[in-house]
Amino acid sequence: MEYDLASLSGLFGHAFSMWWIMLPAIVVGLIAGAVPGFAAHNTIIILLPLTLALNVEYALAFMVALYCASHLGGGIPAILVNIPGTGGAAATTLDGYPMTRKGEAVKALSLCFVASVLGGFVSSVVTLFALPALSRVGYYIHSVEMVVVMLFGLALIASIAAKDMLKGLIAGAFGLMLGAMGADHIYATPRGTFGFLELFDGVPLVPALIGLFAISEALVMLESDALVEEGDQPKTAATWRESAREIFSAFSHWWQIIWTSLLGLVIGVLPGAGASIASFVAYQQSQFFSKTPEKFGTGHPQGVIAPESANNGVTTGTLVPLLAIGVPGGSTAAVMMIVLQFHGVPFGPRLFVEEPQLAYGVIAVMAVSYVMMIPFMFPMVRYMSRITVISTVYLAPFIVAFTLVGAFVPRGFLFDMGIAVAFGIIGYVARKTGYHVAAILIGVILGPLIERSFLLAMRISGNDPMVMFSSTIGNILWVMLILTLALPPIMSRRRAKLERLKDKSLTGPDA
Amino acid sequence: MNDRSGARKPVGADLILPVCAALYAVYYVWSVWDFPAEAQLSGIILAGLLLSLVAIYMIRIIRGLSLGRYSLGMGNFFGPQESRKSRGIFFLLILAALVGLPWLGFTLSTFVFLAASFFVLGVRPIGRGIMIAAIGALTGWFFFIFLLGTHFPEGPFERLIGTVL
Repeated sequence: MEYDLASLSGLFGHAFSMWWIMLPAIVVGLIAGAVPGFAAHNTIIILLPLTLALNVEYALAFMVALYCASHLGGGIPAILVNIPGTGGAAATTLDGYPMTRKGEAVKALSLCFVASVLGGFVSSVVTLFALPALSRVGYYIHSVEMVVVMLFGLALIASIAAKDMLKGLIAGAFGLMLGAMGADHIYATPRGTFGFLELFDGVPLVPALIGLFAISEALVMLESDALVEEGDQPKTAATWRESAREIFSAFSHWWQIIWTSLLGLVIGVLPGAGASIASFVAYQQSQFFSKTPEKFGTGHPQGVIAPESANNGVTTGTLVPLLAIGVPGGSTAAVMMIVLQFHGVPFGPRLFVEEPQLAYGVIAVMAVSYVMMIPFMFPMVRYMSRITVISTVYLAPFIVAFTLVGAFVPRGFLFDMGIAVAFGIIGYVARKTGYHVAAILIGVILGPLIERSFLLAMRISGNDPMVMFSSTIGNILWVMLILTLALPPIMSRRRAKLERLKDKSLTGPDA
Repeated sequence: MNDRSGARKPVGADLILPVCAALYAVYYVWSVWDFPAEAQLSGIILAGLLLSLVAIYMIRIIRGLSLGRYSLGMGNFFGPQESRKSRGIFFLLILAALVGLPWLGFTLSTFVFLAASFFVLGVRPIGRGIMIAAIGALTGWFFFIFLLGTHFPEGPFERLIGTVL
């Protein structure tokens, strides 16, 4: 496709003309993203009769707008009640919730919305121009690289999410172990299932998410009367002026938003990596380059911006391998693929040759969806922050009642609600003892994916374990993984030593 | 002596997760023991990794205990004493809601769970709790079942509305 003004204005003009289908999709997506268990792919599945009945362009516009809005919506409960609406928002809880507890919910929501909208918009526009080049990234990532990418992501999460790295690693490894539950990939024999037939397909992810985050948070939440200390509670709702001021001041972080969203875009292009890894990598990188890294985890604005812009950067990234090589980059892209296949849309090079308007149009619709979300930011910032003044005796039962039943939705098994409660207990223990629940969840998500890539690499190499060190990209990633694990303890020891020396020199030899 | 024990960090609760994780890893290896080597491989590597990490953590704890820096107390694991009973009953209500859901369906079980939880957690007057529970359950029914058509477990309420509509 030629990138001239006429083609681009035609693409964006056509995307804007579908406003009537995109606006309802945005509303549904925002709500679905904010309710754990109703993630974008579940909602699209529920609304499948509608998308299958629509013309392919409208169906795609509806799904894409819903998908983008759900990524924005996922940050709302992560900030207000410490429960990420989607796995990609797990990193948002690290600083978003502490901001809420400090009485800065309006500011945190503003940062979240601006980072999501601006990050999503920028990455969509960049994707539009870089689509031919980006689509080649997937060719360089094979099973060996995928194993290291996922281990790297897990190591980052373990080292960031938990204050004690060893505890974080134990939580991540426990998650991997739970994720490896179910029938093995070669012989289909059940492993570690306690004899439950319902676990033969492995641990269902939605009940695990709901249990680890929602149920456990509800149980911990009841230990105090309100989410926010009485002195920090806002006396009245934020005014329109206050909401607008916070939103506009959030734009001052534009540079961080742009580079973390582009980081998310690149990670999103790797099939299977997804929003969860992208948001934690962006968080870690922001902390690394920050002038105030010690403030991360205590309610730092940069800690909200990084994961939110990255997980919205991923939204465009996950569509790239789907469009370019017909491999969905994530679960929502997989559902979209099914709908597109139903409509007879080809993928890969044929798509760009036969229907270029559709291929590039998807990305344009994404950019336009983010523009259309701007008017929604102001009322959401103003009214949603009021959730923090609701007493926990009302909030906790509502969270349990409406999220627990969300565990039932994907498979329709009552057993899955029991799994959610079991993970709720694990989550409660983890929260109370400093093993971060995000590390367990990401382990559960990545467990089967790592195993699949690992077994594939072993099979291809004739069971030679040295295959794991056979690729240049893989070896670079191994070095980065080792540095991620080794550097933090070395740095903290060095810092402690310097502090001791500084104290000694201040107090003098007589002290 | 009291001062010394007071300064010790309680780590009893911190051991729950690693011990459970280690037990699961051992059970997992046992469950794949008779499998072909290829089916065992990834599980055994993962279990080995987890058990090694737990072993390192245990060494750290034992060292801390022997040096008198740690104690085996539970610390603040169960939260404030005054709300323990109500939170315990709330957890039992969650389990009861799971058991009752197939018979009562989504709307009624949500209503009963919310009303009972509000009562146990101290919402007064009771009428207010019942009213909020009813509004919450009906809103849930309207949004999830009526609007989105989600297949939640059906009970007398959903069947009655289905007949009427």
